[in-house]
Amino acid sequence: MNTSKCYHCGDDCGSAPILFDEKDFCCNGCKTVYDIFSSNNLSFYYDLEASAGATPKIVDGKYDFLETETIVEKLVEFNDGKLQIVNLYIPHIHCSSCIWILENLNKLTNFVVTSQVDFPKKTVRITYRNQDISLKQLVNLLVKIGYEPYISLDDYGKNKKHIDRSLIYKLGVSGFAFGNVMFLSFPEYFETTEFWLDQYKTVFRWIMFAFSLPVVFYASSGYFITAYKGLRANILTIDVPIALGILVLFLRSSFEIIFDWGSGFFDSLTGLVFFLLLGKFFQQKTYSFLSFERDYKSYFPIAVTRITKDRKEESAQVYTIKKGDRLLIRNEELIPVDGILILGNARIDYSFVTGESEPVRKESGDKIFAGGKQLSSAIEMEALKSVSQSYLTQLWSNAVFNKNKASSFQTITDSIGKRFTISILSIAFIAAIFWFFIEPGKVLNVFTAVLIIACPCAIALASPFTLGNMLRIFGRAKFYLKDTIVIEQLAQIDTAIFDKTGTITITKNSDVSYEGMQLSHAEESLLKNTLRSSNHPLSRTLYDLLTEHDIVTLDEYEEYLGKGIQGTKERNTMKIGSATYVGNSAAHNSENTTVHISSNDEYKGCFIFQNEYRKGVPIVFKSLSKTMDVAILSGDNSGEKIRLKALLPKKTSLYFNQKPEDKLTFIEALQKQDKTVLMVGDGLNDAGALAQSDVGIAISENVTVFSPACDGILDATNFNQLHHYIHASKKAMKIIKLSFGLSLMYNVVGLYFAVTGQLQPVIAAILMPLSSISIVLFTTVSTNLIGKNIIYNKTK
Amino acid sequence: MEVQQFYYDNKVVKRFLYATMFWGVIGMVVGLLLALMFLFPNLTDGIPWLSFGRLRPLHTNAVIFAFVGNAIYAGIYYSTQRLLKARMFSDWLSNFNFWGWQAIIVAAVITLPLGYTSSKEYAELEWPIDIAITLVWVAFGWNLIGTILKRRQRHMYVAIWFYLATFVTVAVLHIFNSLALPVGALKSYSVYAGVQDALVQWWYGHNAVAFFLTTPFLGLMYYFVPKAANRPVYSYRLSIVHFWSLIFLYIWAGPHHLLYTSLPEWAQNLGVAFSIMLLAPSWGGMINGLLTLRGAWDKVRVDPTLKFMVVAITGYGMATFEGPLLSLKNVNAIAHFSDWIIAHVHVGALAWNGFLTFGMIYWMIPKLFKTKLYSLKLANFHFWIGTLGIILYALPMYVAGFTQALMWKEFNPDGTLAYGNFLETVNQIMMMYGWRAVGGSLFIIGMLVLVYNVIMTIRNGVDVEDELAEAPALIKVSKRRTSGETFHVWLERKPVQLTILATIVILIGGIIQIVPTILVKSNIPTITSVKPYTPLELEGRDLYIREGCVGCHSQMVRPFRSEVERYGEYSKAGEFVYDHPFLWGSKRTGPDLHRIGGKYSDSWHLNHMYDPQSTSSGSIMPAYQWIVRDELDRSDTQAKMEVMVTLGVPYTEEEVANAMQHMDEQAIKIEQNLYSDPDFAKGYDDDKKYAKENGEAFIEMRNREIVALIAYLQRLGTDIKVKE
Amino acid sequence: MSVMYLLLAISIVVAIVFFVAFIFSVKNGQYDDSYTPSVRMLFDDELVEKAPKTSNSTKKTIQLNKSQKL
Repeated sequence: MNTSKCYHCGDDCGSAPILFDEKDFCCNGCKTVYDIFSSNNLSFYYDLEASAGATPKIVDGKYDFLETETIVEKLVEFNDGKLQIVNLYIPHIHCSSCIWILENLNKLTNFVVTSQVDFPKKTVRITYRNQDISLKQLVNLLVKIGYEPYISLDDYGKNKKHIDRSLIYKLGVSGFAFGNVMFLSFPEYFETTEFWLDQYKTVFRWIMFAFSLPVVFYASSGYFITAYKGLRANILTIDVPIALGILVLFLRSSFEIIFDWGSGFFDSLTGLVFFLLLGKFFQQKTYSFLSFERDYKSYFPIAVTRITKDRKEESAQVYTIKKGDRLLIRNEELIPVDGILILGNARIDYSFVTGESEPVRKESGDKIFAGGKQLSSAIEMEALKSVSQSYLTQLWSNAVFNKNKASSFQTITDSIGKRFTISILSIAFIAAIFWFFIEPGKVLNVFTAVLIIACPCAIALASPFTLGNMLRIFGRAKFYLKDTIVIEQLAQIDTAIFDKTGTITITKNSDVSYEGMQLSHAEESLLKNTLRSSNHPLSRTLYDLLTEHDIVTLDEYEEYLGKGIQGTKERNTMKIGSATYVGNSAAHNSENTTVHISSNDEYKGCFIFQNEYRKGVPIVFKSLSKTMDVAILSGDNSGEKIRLKALLPKKTSLYFNQKPEDKLTFIEALQKQDKTVLMVGDGLNDAGALAQSDVGIAISENVTVFSPACDGILDATNFNQLHHYIHASKKAMKIIKLSFGLSLMYNVVGLYFAVTGQLQPVIAAILMPLSSISIVLFTTVSTNLIGKNIIYNKTK
Repeated sequence: MEVQQFYYDNKVVKRFLYATMFWGVIGMVVGLLLALMFLFPNLTDGIPWLSFGRLRPLHTNAVIFAFVGNAIYAGIYYSTQRLLKARMFSDWLSNFNFWGWQAIIVAAVITLPLGYTSSKEYAELEWPIDIAITLVWVAFGWNLIGTILKRRQRHMYVAIWFYLATFVTVAVLHIFNSLALPVGALKSYSVYAGVQDALVQWWYGHNAVAFFLTTPFLGLMYYFVPKAANRPVYSYRLSIVHFWSLIFLYIWAGPHHLLYTSLPEWAQNLGVAFSIMLLAPSWGGMINGLLTLRGAWDKVRVDPTLKFMVVAITGYGMATFEGPLLSLKNVNAIAHFSDWIIAHVHVGALAWNGFLTFGMIYWMIPKLFKTKLYSLKLANFHFWIGTLGIILYALPMYVAGFTQALMWKEFNPDGTLAYGNFLETVNQIMMMYGWRAVGGSLFIIGMLVLVYNVIMTIRNGVDVEDELAEAPALIKVSKRRTSGETFHVWLERKPVQLTILATIVILIGGIIQIVPTILVKSNIPTITSVKPYTPLELEGRDLYIREGCVGCHSQMVRPFRSEVERYGEYSKAGEFVYDHPFLWGSKRTGPDLHRIGGKYSDSWHLNHMYDPQSTSSGSIMPAYQWIVRDELDRSDTQAKMEVMVTLGVPYTEEEVANAMQHMDEQAIKIEQNLYSDPDFAKGYDDDKKYAKENGEAFIEMRNREIVALIAYLQRLGTDIKVKE
Repeated sequence: MSVMYLLLAISIVVAIVFFVAFIFSVKNGQYDDSYTPSVRMLFDDELVEKAPKTSNSTKKTIQLNKSQKL
């Protein structure tokens, strides 16, 4: 077979590539894009990165809703009547060519003023003159060149969000102060009695004091606040000793310089804050191209076509849909609200919202539910409910979606924070009392010294750096977590629940097996050609499956809705469809989807469609079941039960026909028995469960497109690694515990100096960075070792 | 807001490139000449303006400010326009920048050999030229900031920030270090004295290296390396961190150049701490640069441009590793004053600055002339011979440095110096000096090959003076919906305005700071026995400055047994309170002179100046016969003294008034001392007679320059009476 | 050593100037996207008079940093 690759998109051109400008193209779409680019002197696109393009999928009227002013207003970032700025999310952005072409839009249409790509976010910010080019035209242009933006209800009216950069400011402030203070404090460490130093040390000290002010009152404000909040809620978080340490450091240092007792601990102070903030900064690795907060909104369209009384079509914002509205749902469009099918034949794919693997057929008068996707020609429906009242969307009224897991979870650092604080305070007091009897003059010195030296900088750094690094390692292994807390929670999982459809099965293609008598060559050819004419999803799947046959034109072709199809060539007729239709009532009715065929009314046999499972499913379940209970929670019928039983370890429990709420409650029940539950799902129907579970992981075959709200997104290709990741998280926690031990050692050393009342600034200045840095090194190195293992496991 | 078409100014870039190559050759050739003078001291026999002392500053200035300087401008003018998608702010300023800078260089080429020098390293030029430099530099900065303001690309690429930092800091440093009180059109005295002068000088000295040879080149690296390799910099995030961490702290650099001197101990420690800290950002930058080429090594193999850049970055890494090392006190104790330092700076200059410049040229020229490089072969040849040159230069100098430094410090069991005679330590390393000259020549050959290659490339290229480009204008719209617009514009321009304003603020603030520095008596522990120089000694000191003696002779005995043993009591800060400028020096090609006073007879000095080899055989000091012959110019003496008074030197009125008379007395005394040497008496009288017979004008010895110089040398270090 | 005041003053002021510049550049969102600029600067925007094909035809594939790829 000819295997020339498409010059534009790099796909296989199949048997009949389109030749244009002595280049092969897989389809007219790609050809047109190439034509557009080359005719606009933009063929440099292809020099930058070979075949970086995507086949444009043009659906007429898909973006008609962008004609509505109110909707546009909600989408654009800026609008002064002449200029509009819109920030569009384009999943296809993936290489330098993409950046180049999108930033050269003004070469395609000079109505675009500027366009700037944010590659990590996969967005393009376009400034255009909206009298000359409407947003709709703009979007259609992007679609035409294969860069279709992803616009969903989610984008509706959330266009002016401001970025919080305070951490960077704080980091800057403390880093700046730290660096300069260190230089100023340095001299005194070497020379204590020197002519010139005596002349200048007061100046130095006051400059250091000045530098430390913004650090204490701005940079470290966060710690005071959280510590205060903690105390209000009667929990001693790790922030309490930290805040205490900072405060004491500052006060004592200030007094020292005011009364000229010494140089103070300003370098330790600024350094401490700097390192702590560094940890914070490192901890928050964000995958700007992903979102863990998505609900149905980012899956639903912004607007649909409403049919007015006088049979006119208008695009209506989905929130405005009322009971009784007539809606037009085109092919590939989403049903926004529950309603009744009025006319047209509906084939609705619910796999994403309910987990049913096969599209369902509805006749007029049937009830259809929001979230389903219409697969064949356009239908007309009447709304029964508004969006928020609909069957699916109601799920989100559930409390779980508003409660924040992280807040309720106590991190390992906080859990030791309590003990730590108490012990430190007691040590401080005991030492103070001790000295009160020995040498009262030293009491204050010792007391403060203890609090200073014991300030748990290293401890506070251990988990940010361990988990932060782990987060990055997972990210490299295509396992994207919302934040570091998820890792801690993963490590505690004792029950794992899996959704079936789309989670452990592959969404697209399915296994097809043929049962029945052998078909002759002629029959096969006829079968193939008959299927060719039908665009029923099953027909398409079958068609692709069957071997190549030269294309012939049928003499006759009939399609019987809801039954099947019939093709005739040279007096041979081929019937394809349901058992009854092909005249075989005796056919065993399995829950699996089947397509039966008969040649000249003689029953031949049937094709059985079965789910195809992801590679590694058995291994994952096997290794998980060693350490935890595993269960399957499927919205689908039990058609696959037998296969699953064979596939999975004995003790895996299987549940079918689970509605979204069922899943949610199921998990709730488990948690009532103090189980820590991991939920692995993919679709909206799992959203409730994902939210309810302690850790909800969404499997996604294309991470850049929709996945429901969750704590982590796992790229489907690495599903077979899941158990390794969980083990890795456990190991990470071990590392943290170890580094706690390490930093405690430093504390002991420091405490010795403090309690014996001989803590010099220089000692603090050495111990503090030393402990912090060694912790950082230790955690980074050991987590990287774990990371190595993950990669290693993957390769083998 | 339309898509605008505009032209990049390539003309100015090309000019700067030509200047770079031209001055590069000149500066390097002068360098080679100097290297040869180590082997043949009297190579330029009797020609004052070709004497070593006067040419050394010419070499450093030509290479740093002419070769590297022009390269910086070329690179900045090329990349800034393209990064900001705008033509330079003003062609007039561009031209002024170019011609002004060349004029300054020419002025330097003239004045330095004529002996007009402030004797402050890398800041030798006299005050009128200093002012010119300030003007041209400000013009450059104005042009740069102007371009930033009318840019068409909102984001300022990291390179631009490096350029900005360069402008601001160099301006400040130059101004404060060059503060001086003029005596005449081409003579001035630094406002700071002794230790203070030294501190300011090396605060400048280091930052000159930091902000003139490093930051701009890092900017250029971040532009040209990715461009040449056609792949994004390894980590842009890291480059941003690199810039800010560097810039927050870099300004503290300096004092570590004065370890073990009379500089305050803690100031030295500050310097040490700083330099060590700096290792992190420096290497961050180097790694970022090298890793940019990871996975492109196949390209590097075939592309000379990249080869040059790789070596350049590696050189940067080595130099920035060595720097902190040298600032460690115990290392510095050995390396300072020795050829090790020479090796260190040349690794930086030849590899980092030189090779990155070459890489830039090889990349830019074909682009500017829309053609291919004339010959890759030649470029590769240049690369290899250049690299070999660097190695042959650096290695011998390291060896020389070690050898000599160790010999200086070596003692016999009986506690006497193993090499009491300084000359032994010099003759020991002559061969190394030979190899250094070879390495230098190789490097120059490479440079010439580059020039040829470039000329041939230009021959078959097309000259595009202004390059057409188009980019949409940068429209200022607020993230906020409406009317916030102006506010945003304001915000947008704010950092730039701040930079300008702040610079001015610093200058004013600095001037206010200066006043007390000059007027208030500085609180250095004064030594009562330390007295100002006599008029004659002052003139002698100016001769010492004119001839650039400081280039080979230090005046700073460090508190080491070896040095005290060799030279005498170590130097005290208090001894320099009247030294405008300080003359501590940074290199000991010859012995230290701080305690030379009274060591030798006057006539020894005379003979030594007339023919060094006669008094000390094997010496590599050139003869200074013109000093012995020429008459001392006393016209400015009183003016000089008055200036000194303004600077706080306690000359009384009548001291100034009777300056001439006092000079004569002191001169006659020296003349008599000279007479005590029979050979001199004979020769001198013969000359006198001969002159009388032929009716030629004859200059009395007492009126000759040599007398002043002797007076100064005999005075050196004699203020505090220590030792037996 | 009164010059020390001078040097301290200058050093600190310069450092602070840069610090302010830093704050403002962050505020202006200069660093919101800390990757794309490094790719953008690789594109030549010179309009090559006539026949862009010939000048561009040289394959100059820009390979993005792994870390940024998905």
